[in-house]
Amino acid sequence: MERTVTVVPEDGLHARPAANFVEAAGEYESEITIAPADGDGVNAQSMLAVTSLGVAAGDDVVLTAEGADAEAALDALEAILTTPEDSA
Amino acid sequence: MSRTVTGTGATPLSDVGIVRWYRPDECLPETTDAETPATERANFEQAKKTARDELEVERERTRELVGEQEAGVFDAHLQFLADPQIEASVEDGIDDGLAATTAVREAFADPISQFESMDGMMAERADDLRDVRNRLVRILAGSERIDLAALPAGTILLAERLTPSDTAQLDPARVAGFATVEGGRTSHAAIFARSLGIPAVVGAGASIEDIQEGTEVVIDGTAGEVIVEPDEAVKADAAGSRDIEVQADAVETTDGVSIEVAANVGTPAEIESAVEHGADGIGLFRTEFLFLNRESPPSEDEQYEAIAETLSAFPDGRVVVRTLDIGGDKPIPYLDQPAEENPFLGERGIRRSLDADADLFRTQLRALMRAAASDHGDGLSVMFPLVSTVDELDRALEAVDEVATDLEDAGVEWARPEFGVMIETPSAVFMAEELATRVDFFSIGTNDLTQYVMATSRENDRISYLHDPRHPAVLRAIRRIVQVGHDHDCWVGMCGEMAGDPTLLKLLVGLGLDELSMSAITIPDVKAGVAATSHADAASLASDALAATTISDITQLLNQ
Repeated sequence: MERTVTVVPEDGLHARPAANFVEAAGEYESEITIAPADGDGVNAQSMLAVTSLGVAAGDDVVLTAEGADAEAALDALEAILTTPEDSA
Repeated sequence: MSRTVTGTGATPLSDVGIVRWYRPDECLPETTDAETPATERANFEQAKKTARDELEVERERTRELVGEQEAGVFDAHLQFLADPQIEASVEDGIDDGLAATTAVREAFADPISQFESMDGMMAERADDLRDVRNRLVRILAGSERIDLAALPAGTILLAERLTPSDTAQLDPARVAGFATVEGGRTSHAAIFARSLGIPAVVGAGASIEDIQEGTEVVIDGTAGEVIVEPDEAVKADAAGSRDIEVQADAVETTDGVSIEVAANVGTPAEIESAVEHGADGIGLFRTEFLFLNRESPPSEDEQYEAIAETLSAFPDGRVVVRTLDIGGDKPIPYLDQPAEENPFLGERGIRRSLDADADLFRTQLRALMRAAASDHGDGLSVMFPLVSTVDELDRALEAVDEVATDLEDAGVEWARPEFGVMIETPSAVFMAEELATRVDFFSIGTNDLTQYVMATSRENDRISYLHDPRHPAVLRAIRRIVQVGHDHDCWVGMCGEMAGDPTLLKLLVGLGLDELSMSAITIPDVKAGVAATSHADAASLASDALAATTISDITQLLNQ
């Protein structure tokens, strides 16, 4: 199962947004990967792997999930990637 | 002999104390002797658990003291701590016969140097990884943690840099101040210093490295100076700066002119801080936070509640609410905003409220006009951001009249608050007479006004010398707004950064401003400053400044 998402948080996948993303990914049994639009997928449950991608706001990423709860995982992760950080 | 090192002031506070160096890396062992892999694995598991407990405590403390955003860095640390890639690498090392301390160092080495070689935010991730690694190594080695929460009173902490974990432990009652070799005004350390009210200088450079442990120094967070072996007069000045008591009552100059000293707030937590620091009211209530971090706009009732609650925090004071100022640099996902080349000169502020966000604007006005009829609603003032033409103001006020009619027809209780214009554009300065006949007040937003008067992006470091509100052109614009406002019975406030700069206070008093609004922490300083200023002397300083030609002329006048 695969889904393309445009990243909204101002800081991209860094510090808090990345931590939220990795933490959420860790809550599902499915094997989940995240890939930049033109690159290879990495383990979405690894903070190191996710931040190494250097994903910025406005970038497209491809999420894939394989497993019983794949769809729920993709929904939750998409929600995180499309919710802005407080920038007031 | 006394000498001075200059860096960037992080807080407008000063104090004197005795230097203690913080060099956490020096206490950490490079390696230790390995026991059996099973023992080392168990040690590693236990160390992770202890590290997690420590991080959770620090995260909570940071969330309470500074806010959710800054606490987020600890979430990142917790995730790095649990990273499967790092865990696997440590376990491989242990299986190969390494001690857990060595295996941890090796597992972090490559990722740290990878992030280090990259720019900006990626380099910050290297700091996070080093922080997590050092924590694990310290716990594994059983090294004493330098307890930053238990430093002797009167300590001035010097460090290469302070991580968020370090800064979160500092106790403002014990730490008289700190200075770091690295870091800028927006570094974690500087943000924490402001939240905790600790005098601090960041980015002081290598010149502080030869200041010996035990030396007496003054940290002057206003001037951004570390003064080594200060003389008695400097010490007395600095020691006095933190003793200023919060002054809850309104203040006036020595010759009896009242100046309202108010707070700028952008989050609910800042409202409390404003009250604690003795703000007379709120001079800039940014409504954007009500709209961010959500999937759809807040309802009229939600907005009403937020405003009514803020009004009751200042039963006798004024609360100036700025209508929604989004656009360009402040994207909100559920609103359709075009991508813009230069976000600061584009579709934002009142321009969006009259057009793309007209419905949101009306909902906000309904909430505000209902709040004006609530308890303490007579203190409500509403201002429109980025007004550049009289026509925009007329259209905004027409919307107010229409909303009033709707509320009346629906039998909803409402009242008309004061309305005002935030003066940020040169066109508003030139059209001030016409604007003043239509409103009750002006509030000068000096950050944008300076940017537009000087045609200078405030985001560009290479031309930062031009983004200086002390330039005579900006001062003359301010003077014009004050004069025109007063000629038309409008009160005139200032809510940009300039308003909270203690070195400019006398000049601002002299320019005739009725209200100054700033971040809460600077309020006690500014109130004390107002009470010590003679309005007549200030007016004479302002008149000299208005006749000046260059920023250096003005600096000279201010230093006299």
